[in-house]
Amino acid sequence: MGNRPIKFRILELFLDGKEHWNYEVVSKIQAEYNMNSAYGRDSINFDIIELASGGMLKDVEQKVDEAGIYKKDFLLHKYVITDFGKVRGSDACLMYV
Amino acid sequence: MEGFSVDLKTLKKQESKRKVSKGYMWALFCAVFWGIWYLPGTVVWVLNPFDEMYSAIAETSGDGMSLVITAVLITAFNALTVMLALMLWNGVLGKYGELGRTLKEFHPCSKWFFLASIFGGPMAILGSFIAMGFIGGAFAAVAGLLYPVVGSILAYYWYGEKISKRAAMGIAVIIVGGVTIFGGGLLTELSSGNVQWIGYLGGLMAAAGWGIEGAIAGKGLDISEPDAGLTLRFLGENIIWWIIIVPILAIVGFPMYSFALQAFEPLTLLVLIFAGITFGFCYVCWYKSFPLIGVGRGQGIGNLYGFCAIIFIFLFFGDVPQWTILVGGTLCIAGSFIMFTEDASALETLRGE
Repeated sequence: MGNRPIKFRILELFLDGKEHWNYEVVSKIQAEYNMNSAYGRDSINFDIIELASGGMLKDVEQKVDEAGIYKKDFLLHKYVITDFGKVRGSDACLMYV
Repeated sequence: MEGFSVDLKTLKKQESKRKVSKGYMWALFCAVFWGIWYLPGTVVWVLNPFDEMYSAIAETSGDGMSLVITAVLITAFNALTVMLALMLWNGVLGKYGELGRTLKEFHPCSKWFFLASIFGGPMAILGSFIAMGFIGGAFAAVAGLLYPVVGSILAYYWYGEKISKRAAMGIAVIIVGGVTIFGGGLLTELSSGNVQWIGYLGGLMAAAGWGIEGAIAGKGLDISEPDAGLTLRFLGENIIWWIIIVPILAIVGFPMYSFALQAFEPLTLLVLIFAGITFGFCYVCWYKSFPLIGVGRGQGIGNLYGFCAIIFIFLFFGDVPQWTILVGGTLCIAGSFIMFTEDASALETLRGE
């Protein structure tokens, strides 16, 4: 069970500087925080959307979820952390130097 | 391949539009709840024990002082019932875990919400009551309507939140509309003479307090969940009233506790709970709109509370609106449309690259 606020953990996952698909992050957080319901999944995805809206993550690629990995026919997003996100993420996670 | 990429582009645009509409919808609900809150907020003053408290303190300390002290107790109860409503809300959404996790992260996160509670509670809400008591309700409402100016300027300069010309224009038109709505009353109040500087100070406290609260909360909301953040903001406000200010006033000699205990009457409790639910959900909507459309837009649309309050007061109390309200209301709605019709792609991120 994760012990930091979910948005902290999401930023921490992105602090590796690599691009991640939203469904990868969502399923990782679902497992860590024991949020396996559809409601849990959607609320984690919404946290990611808010982080992108706040300019901490940048949407770099999209694809349609044809296989139903996350939600069938929905748009999947690949994000990367921004410089501002690195600063806020390091404030929150004390990992990035 | 060409067709597929166009399709993807359209889908992305639709999704972004949905997100922005959701943000505006939250802000609009905030205005509606805020408007409804004026019903219990007005009624509570004439209920026991607050009316008795007002006359008891007025006899010994004067009307002005009595009004501020009674306002403190009403605001403290308001904060308490908001807290109860928020605990219920977080419980239904299963967010107690996230609430605890956010509370523990004081330095990067929850300090912003405690700071927001200082500006939102003792500064803005009390300031608004002071303006109401010393000058009048219309003045207090107009002063309060100026808060998005403070909020959006702070959010722009402090953390670079983008405010397009169109959004700024929409905010300005809504503010002019609000001022027009309360214009008649404002002029009467200001020309009645005997206006005390402390009333202006209260007005300034309301505008600055809510504006600063929004900008500070926006900073905390970067990295936290809005429902959890908001509950911490009200935890802060309850600490300020119930652990600091109410005991201090009691020590100074005001009968705070004896009147507080009398509030547990069915009708008073019902009105306080109604106030807590409406104010609580107005704040839920306010905080949820910030991460999606930004502090400036969220506050600008939230400002439609002035217009909503007039409508609800008309519906429930039968106060017939004057023509200035129709003109002002039209301006408010025009201002909102200017903002709603902004290109959603400009709002994909709220900060400059």
